[in-house]
Amino acid sequence: MDSDEDLLDAYDGDSAEDYYYSGGDSDVDDYIAGGDEDEDDGGDCGYASDDDSTLRSEKVYTVLKVSDIQQRQEESISHVSSVLSISRVAACVLLCHYKWNVSQLHDEWFADEEKVRRTVGLLSRPVVQFPNAKELTCGICFESHPLDQIHSAVCGHPYCTTCWKGYITTSINDGPGCLLLRCPDPSCRASVGQDMILKLASDEDKEKYSRYFVRSYIEDKKKTKWCPAPGCENAVEFELGSNIYDVTCLCSHGFCWNCTEEAHRPVDCGTVSKWILKNSAESENMNWILANSKPCPKCKRPIEKNQGCMHMTCTPPCKFEFCWLCLGAWSDHGERTGGFYACNRYEAAKQEGLYDEAERRREMAKNSLERYTHYYERWASNQTSRQKAIADLHQMQTVHLEKLSDKLKEPESQLKFVIEAWQQIIECRRVLKWTYAYGYYLPEHEHAKKQLFEYLQGEAEAGLERLHQCAEKELLVFLGDDEPQADFKTFRPKLAGLTRVTRSYFENLVRALENGLSDVNTQPACSTSISSKNADGAGKGKGGKGKGSTSRSGRNAARDGDDDDHWNCDRCTYANPDSVSSCQMCHNER
Amino acid sequence: MANSNLPRRIIKETQRLLSEPAPGISASPSEENMRYFNVMILGPSQSPYEGGVFKLELFLPEEYPMAAPKVRFLTKIYHPNIDKLGRICLDILKDKWSPALQIRTVLLSIQALLSAPNPDDPLSENIAKHWKTNEAEAVETGELTAFLLALRHKKFPSSHSSLLFANFYS
Ligand SMILES: [Zn+2]
Ligand SMILES: [Zn+2]
Ligand SMILES: [Zn+2]
Ligand SMILES: [Zn+2]
Ligand SMILES: [Zn+2]
Ligand SMILES: [Zn+2]
Ligand SMILES: [Zn+2]
Repeated sequence: MDSDEDLLDAYDGDSAEDYYYSGGDSDVDDYIAGGDEDEDDGGDCGYASDDDSTLRSEKVYTVLKVSDIQQRQEESISHVSSVLSISRVAACVLLCHYKWNVSQLHDEWFADEEKVRRTVGLLSRPVVQFPNAKELTCGICFESHPLDQIHSAVCGHPYCTTCWKGYITTSINDGPGCLLLRCPDPSCRASVGQDMILKLASDEDKEKYSRYFVRSYIEDKKKTKWCPAPGCENAVEFELGSNIYDVTCLCSHGFCWNCTEEAHRPVDCGTVSKWILKNSAESENMNWILANSKPCPKCKRPIEKNQGCMHMTCTPPCKFEFCWLCLGAWSDHGERTGGFYACNRYEAAKQEGLYDEAERRREMAKNSLERYTHYYERWASNQTSRQKAIADLHQMQTVHLEKLSDKLKEPESQLKFVIEAWQQIIECRRVLKWTYAYGYYLPEHEHAKKQLFEYLQGEAEAGLERLHQCAEKELLVFLGDDEPQADFKTFRPKLAGLTRVTRSYFENLVRALENGLSDVNTQPACSTSISSKNADGAGKGKGGKGKGSTSRSGRNAARDGDDDDHWNCDRCTYANPDSVSSCQMCHNER
Repeated sequence: MANSNLPRRIIKETQRLLSEPAPGISASPSEENMRYFNVMILGPSQSPYEGGVFKLELFLPEEYPMAAPKVRFLTKIYHPNIDKLGRICLDILKDKWSPALQIRTVLLSIQALLSAPNPDDPLSENIAKHWKTNEAEAVETGELTAFLLALRHKKFPSSHSSLLFANFYS
């Protein structure tokens, strides 16, 4: 047990991350590592490691629950009412008019109070008075009413209770305009305070009114927006000026604050809307692709995809293992193809006469759809995988984790790494999905970029596949009824390690793609240029630019060479103990 | 049927419209439905519509006076804020409606709209463009339309039963 915990501790520290994250020998690995250094002056808010992301969410955006909004409104009302020495009701009227912009309200109020009062209808005294009347004629129903049934705003225009109720309910049911309600007299337009509205409105209308009131705080402001998830009532306040818009609501919905589509880093908003438009234009052609089954490339029986990862196994007796995306044999994926998955490559899909599926596709290829089909299918597959992973995570959290904890006699807190793995898978599926939109719009003629892109994407695909498979299939063993306790000791560091490696890789991938793979044209991405950057980066790091600095210098240290008793796998960057000669993650030879 | 339970306010408004009509305006409720009014507005003097008689219909919806009356020109009219179907672009008939307004104030506002068309808030794009680019010509065309279409009304006193005009316009 002791050694286990030590291991766990090691994974929690920065150092472990740095071991996993190390530059390989290849230029491209260095290139992608370089993306990190390039980033230092920009808003550094990738979905980073846990500590990074808390730092970021404080800085760049805040999720506001309804109660948070109400509290802020409360603060503004109290503040305005005390600074301007006016009632809270009047403060509400002013704040609604000024769209909760307290400083603009202050400025204009102190510049010309009378003008502000006139504009918003905040009268200081009545314009009509009936000092001796016992009865008054209501200006709406034209009936006479005793004074106790007559109400008026500050202006004094008399209307009876029934007519006021009708007036207020009509206005509330007309929409948020009720927040700026005025006296019914067309020449008067004195504001009708919240106190009067709440006194006369029905319970149902009062509730609607309060909802409009809360909404006004979000909708009238430039820097706040509602979370677009159905049924979610939270809002997100965004620090304008940051150019990275991905936010995650407390409801766990991740979306782009700028365009409110689902989160789509590393692709920009324009590309996303182009892509969505394209998808809807092509939806008819694409329907067959969304089908959840494909013929096994070997025995032609339809095989349903019910797992998140792309590694398919046909039902017995065939048991053929193949890749869902390219329908190639799974054995061709990985080491033997030179270290990256060919199935992300468009060119590969065009290979002649391998499978029926390819035939079918070639028919479609007579028109320009083929290229789009390639990207769309991969985009959609990752989306489906992601949905499945979300369901799996839920299942894990609600059912399996407890079971596992009982079985292994470990507290659930010690099994957090399983949850983290699933969260990472979900996030990576999202990123990977959008890289296919990115690839679709990458100009055909930029060969170097395209090549680099496909390499990076292939590596991402392979890495995520390893992680997904580990979390999905290897974990199954421990959920069964047997007692394979011993294996769990090796499973833990493996899954936790894969999670870290994959997270690191995807972070860098996102940054590199967001930079438009910009270095590819200006300079050859070679080891020397990267190492000079590293030195530079480490120097800046000392200045202490937030969290980034420590991990950066730490990484550099790790990259300097294989540390003491570890060696870093060239391919997947896993830090292996010196005692083994092939990588524990990917079986790559040292 | 529709006339039973007519709110006191509508009865009072109707009585006053009949007993003290506003100058240049007549409005009388239909016998079958006291919420439906036949309206006639004289083209205001010194306006392109001077000399014309314009027929309108006005209906008080169930929610009246919380909701605005529905008003429409039945006589064809060439005006930037009135469309081919006779629908009127007037703020108090929409978002600026207040229950403290009345049938009388609505009709007076429509009369005023004939005196002062508002090409910046058009209902009929073409006419508004026309109006803006060549006011003189528009005035002429408006005059002509008003003249041609309203000429026949002129032969009848405006208080005369509107049924008489049904043969010409509908
Ligand atoms: Zn008033
Ligand atoms: Zn009343
Ligand atoms: Zn939400
Ligand atoms: Zn966006
Ligand atoms: Zn098979
Ligand atoms: Zn494949
Ligand atoms: Zn490896």
